[in-house]
Amino acid sequence: MPSLSTTVVKVLETCNDPQASANTLKQVISLDPVLTGRVLKLINSAYYALGQPITSLTRAIIMLGVNTVKNLALSFAILKNMKGSGTFHAFSIDDFWLHCLGVGVVAKSLAAIKGLLPGEQEKYFVAGLLHDLGKLPLNKQFFEEYYQIRESADREQDPFYIWEERLLGIDHSMVGGLIAEKWRLGSSLFESLSHHHDPGGCSQNNLDLVTAISLANLIVIDLDIGNAGDRLCNQTLLSDLTTKVGADFSKLSNFQESVIEEIEKAKIFLEIARKG
Amino acid sequence: MNSKTKLKTDRIEVRFWGVRGSIPSPGPDTVRYGGNTLCLELRLSDQKRRLIIDAGSGIRQLGDSLSSDPGDSDRLNADIFLTHTHLDHILGLPFFAPIHNPTTRLKIYGPVTCEEDPLEDVIGGQLSYRYFPVRQHELGASIEYIDLKEGRYDLGAGVALITKYLNHPLLALGYRIEYNGKAICTAYDTEPFYNVFCTDPSAAGYDEILAAEGARAAQEENDRMEEFYKDADLLIHDGQYTQAEYESGKQGWGHSPIEYVIATARRAGVKRLAICHHDPLRTDLQLDALSQLFGHSENNGDMLIFFAREGKTVEI
Repeated sequence: MPSLSTTVVKVLETCNDPQASANTLKQVISLDPVLTGRVLKLINSAYYALGQPITSLTRAIIMLGVNTVKNLALSFAILKNMKGSGTFHAFSIDDFWLHCLGVGVVAKSLAAIKGLLPGEQEKYFVAGLLHDLGKLPLNKQFFEEYYQIRESADREQDPFYIWEERLLGIDHSMVGGLIAEKWRLGSSLFESLSHHHDPGGCSQNNLDLVTAISLANLIVIDLDIGNAGDRLCNQTLLSDLTTKVGADFSKLSNFQESVIEEIEKAKIFLEIARKG
Repeated sequence: MNSKTKLKTDRIEVRFWGVRGSIPSPGPDTVRYGGNTLCLELRLSDQKRRLIIDAGSGIRQLGDSLSSDPGDSDRLNADIFLTHTHLDHILGLPFFAPIHNPTTRLKIYGPVTCEEDPLEDVIGGQLSYRYFPVRQHELGASIEYIDLKEGRYDLGAGVALITKYLNHPLLALGYRIEYNGKAICTAYDTEPFYNVFCTDPSAAGYDEILAAEGARAAQEENDRMEEFYKDADLLIHDGQYTQAEYESGKQGWGHSPIEYVIATARRAGVKRLAICHHDPLRTDLQLDALSQLFGHSENNGDMLIFFAREGKTVEI
């Protein structure tokens, strides 16, 4: 599983700094879908037998401790990135990162609009951030094919996952589901990763969350923030999901500004590290 | 009582072979409480098996006692539960004489690490020529390594093991062993969970929601710890610092203030509390004074408190 070069410099800087605060640590990890997934994997595979799966990075950092999380992030960032993995041919890695972060931010905003508590809002953010995790191993394994998939999806104006299925026999939702299962991320993240293109197929328990992730994904595509393969937003589906989520369309129009603002903040945060 | 004495039915005997934290601390000031790092031995009535918790330097003398025990010298079957893999908890293993005996069968249990390296590699790493003259694969004993996570395990013959992650800079497990209606808990190395996020509204990077979530998560984890100790007949807990020492720059080091431990154990209904993982700088005289201060307080209620000493046995 490759990490993302977009965030790795800041991860290395933060984790190598003994004085780095837990706030900074949480901020840098929550900007990287792979690292967030790895931290949740550790907490859930270690704590698998008791209670509910942990989907909050805040709680994971309290439970694991700052040092353990730093060590995990550090060993992961060094090992995975120095091998030169994690590049995309189909779309740029920075665009992929923008898409993931955008979906996380929009999902969190949807949770806030629904009046959910901060802990639940974080779950929505994490689910959005991780929803496309399945694309990373597929891109790594089928580097050239992924380029063809993107070209075919663009040419035929089809969803990206349709061409994954056609050319590879598997799509990123299925792979995402396998990762969530193997990492014991719990049913809410499992279904967010495996059903975000098919929210109707998930269980009743996670229906609200997965529908919101599905909607957040479309909103980010519609706003043309980043690129993870899909460039075309299905407007009928967007309208349908907006109704299902129960969000007010007038509030959705404010998303563009707030999402871009959040992403700019993240960029500044990461850019500072590069200059340093 | 020595290890050869037959236990009464339904009893568990705990023997402290090492009670010191961080590093073996021999010398004239640690003679009475002992300088060996942590190692506990549990004997269960009606069972030949032994449960050993941690392989600090105290395990050397435990090994020697087993080798000289006619009942054990033929063939030793033992389960070793490592709370974590910091050096003071594993450094005695190469000197545990039974591991060089081909008739010995050991199961070594321990928590996963954040790097996800197998326990065999983490523990076996010190059994290489650069650290020790005998390599892992040259050991006489047959050793099986078993990764533990948080949960409940059936160890057979009526023995249940419940594991709980603690708060330490490395993933560390607390163990609760239940047998014949009795429960013994260990919780070292650990400190109270606390809100690691910034709580000062005037500080740069302050996040109100994060601060509140962090406080809530820490409180809930401390509640889970208390539940883990619930009604234990014996709780063997980290007490490396006093509250004042803890507050003078020791927070985050993964060790507990004694006052907090006593209050928590009382709320949990613990019957006997053994304070261990003594600081390497703590002298016998200082431990006597702490024992006097905390062991006889009226605040302790029915709970018996003692500061663990090397060689002491407790029968439950």
